[in-house]
Amino acid sequence: MSDIPFKNPGWAGNTGEFELTEEQVRGDDFVGSRPAHGGHASGAGTMPYMLAAKEPDAPLFEGEYRDRLDKILSRYPTKQAALLPALGLAQEIRGHVSPASMDEVAEVLELSSAYVRGVATFYTMYNKRPVGRHLVQVCTNISCNLAGADDVVDAFLKYTDTELGETSEDGNFTVLEAECLAACGFPTCVQINSRYFENVTPSEVPRICEHLKAEGE
Amino acid sequence: MAYPYVSDHEVRVLSKHFGDPSQRRIDTYVERGGYSALKKAFDMGPEKVIDEVKASGLRGRGGAGFPTGVKWSFMPKESGKPHYLLCNADESEPGTFKDRELIRWDPHQLIEGCLIGAYAIGAKHVYIYCRGEFFEANSILARAVEDAYEKGYIGTDIMGSGNDLELTVHQGAGAYICGEETGLMNSLEGRRGQPRVKPPFPAAVGAFGMPSTINNVETLAAVTHIVANGGDWYRGFGTEKSPGTKLFCVSGHVNKPGNYELPLGFPLMTLIDEVCGGMRDGNALKAVIPGGSSVPIINAEEAGRCTLDYEGCVEVGTMLGCASVIVMDETADVVKQVRRMVDFYAHESCGQCTPCREGSAWTAQILKRIEDGRGTEEDLDTLMEMTEQMVGTTICVLSDSVAAPVQSSIEKFRDDYLALIRRGERVGAA
Repeated sequence: MSDIPFKNPGWAGNTGEFELTEEQVRGDDFVGSRPAHGGHASGAGTMPYMLAAKEPDAPLFEGEYRDRLDKILSRYPTKQAALLPALGLAQEIRGHVSPASMDEVAEVLELSSAYVRGVATFYTMYNKRPVGRHLVQVCTNISCNLAGADDVVDAFLKYTDTELGETSEDGNFTVLEAECLAACGFPTCVQINSRYFENVTPSEVPRICEHLKAEGE
Repeated sequence: MAYPYVSDHEVRVLSKHFGDPSQRRIDTYVERGGYSALKKAFDMGPEKVIDEVKASGLRGRGGAGFPTGVKWSFMPKESGKPHYLLCNADESEPGTFKDRELIRWDPHQLIEGCLIGAYAIGAKHVYIYCRGEFFEANSILARAVEDAYEKGYIGTDIMGSGNDLELTVHQGAGAYICGEETGLMNSLEGRRGQPRVKPPFPAAVGAFGMPSTINNVETLAAVTHIVANGGDWYRGFGTEKSPGTKLFCVSGHVNKPGNYELPLGFPLMTLIDEVCGGMRDGNALKAVIPGGSSVPIINAEEAGRCTLDYEGCVEVGTMLGCASVIVMDETADVVKQVRRMVDFYAHESCGQCTPCREGSAWTAQILKRIEDGRGTEEDLDTLMEMTEQMVGTTICVLSDSVAAPVQSSIEKFRDDYLALIRRGERVGAA
């Protein structure tokens, strides 16, 4: 994204004397790309699980993904403790956590389907139904709200021609309001899939959306 | 290079390397003296480490302000069971944005603090429970942990000391309540993140039923420096009862919002006027929430008397919480913002306790009715009465957090409510 001269390319840049590239701020230059097997077992449960690419019918715990699940399991005294990372893995592959996915997770962790549903529905980050390629979550809690977050939401809805929670016709965007994203000093904060975009103003919204479409990941 | 904004008033201990991407690399961190505090801790022995932290007067940075060394000393000495240290990185209190910065700019500082803490309480395994939304920060942390394993700072026989410590980064999935310590433990175990009844306390029965201690990110990051420099050094900052430095997360209507590390006891108005460059557009100050959305809101007069330490905030009828200073100028619509905060709590209530589950939802609906110009003066009495019944009646304090902004705003900004109720006039723009 560095080719586009964003005022604030996804981070609190240009607000002071903060001269870093977006990769440096996001840590992409440090982290690099993370392998599907999850890398070292200590961090195998932390993979980004909101991605643009979604394969709703792909198998869940095979090949490298099975390796990752085994690594996660090795870090806890109970199988049940791997439930959140396993649900995350399901969403990472398929884009959302369907009842069928929950059943598969239940089976591999030797839990009941009802139990897994009870847990999965407790947490907001598991998409219980399909979402667009880019899940746009605009913080509208107090600090962002004081900075005009409602207008940022409206700008996203206008650009995508959707209502809150609806997926745009081209399948690219689903816009939601989010609770505080813990970036209150850099309002308005918008989480789009796994990335944070900070200091977002309504006028920047079309450019962000167009760039996301062009990125085509 | 300067992290978005810096101020001459700052004492940058934890935030010294914010904005410097090279600090994430383990070689740089070690060159700058990193992991020497861990070595020192191994030489001191667990009890002396706890004594040093006690001597520093460090108080938990997650909001409650409980002395960290005392908390550690609650852990049983020879229980014969595995002990766990949990690091609470589920930062989600509205107004708070310090832990994500600590994780993404200086991950090793946190890792080192976690390892020292684990060693002190006899834990062999540390779990860092990270907020799910922090994919970028979590990836940075996971990479840093991997590097620390590779260089032998985590794992078996660390630095030839004979000590074994494991560390796992655990990622949450979006639930504010998992920041409550027992809710976090349930979530870590693969359950709904519903808080547990205490007692038993975590030091007796914690994660996986074993003795556990849970500390905030900022607390554990501070431990690294306390062990490196001594408790007396740390006491050199701040006040007698609230020693040390603290990250202040300033948001809202100031010219330069951001994280500022200041000694505790710093005057609130100096923070706003000097550190943060004053109010936006030169507007007048209307209200401040000094500790995140869960603490009572104060007006401009009270803000003028407020010093930012645990005691100073209590004196003006509020709390320091996690030092998340939300500033509102004269254009702020207090009723709308309170309604928005209550909406948040209604959404995040775990649903176990009736006063919270029902109370937060009803409070949100009544506030919405007032905001839409359909409220009555009786509604204000109802809100006060209802929220009173939400304090101290539930397993955790989420319910109390609903009462704080509602009660304090009705007391201090009653005219804003009345303008809406009597004339349908909204006070403020946003």
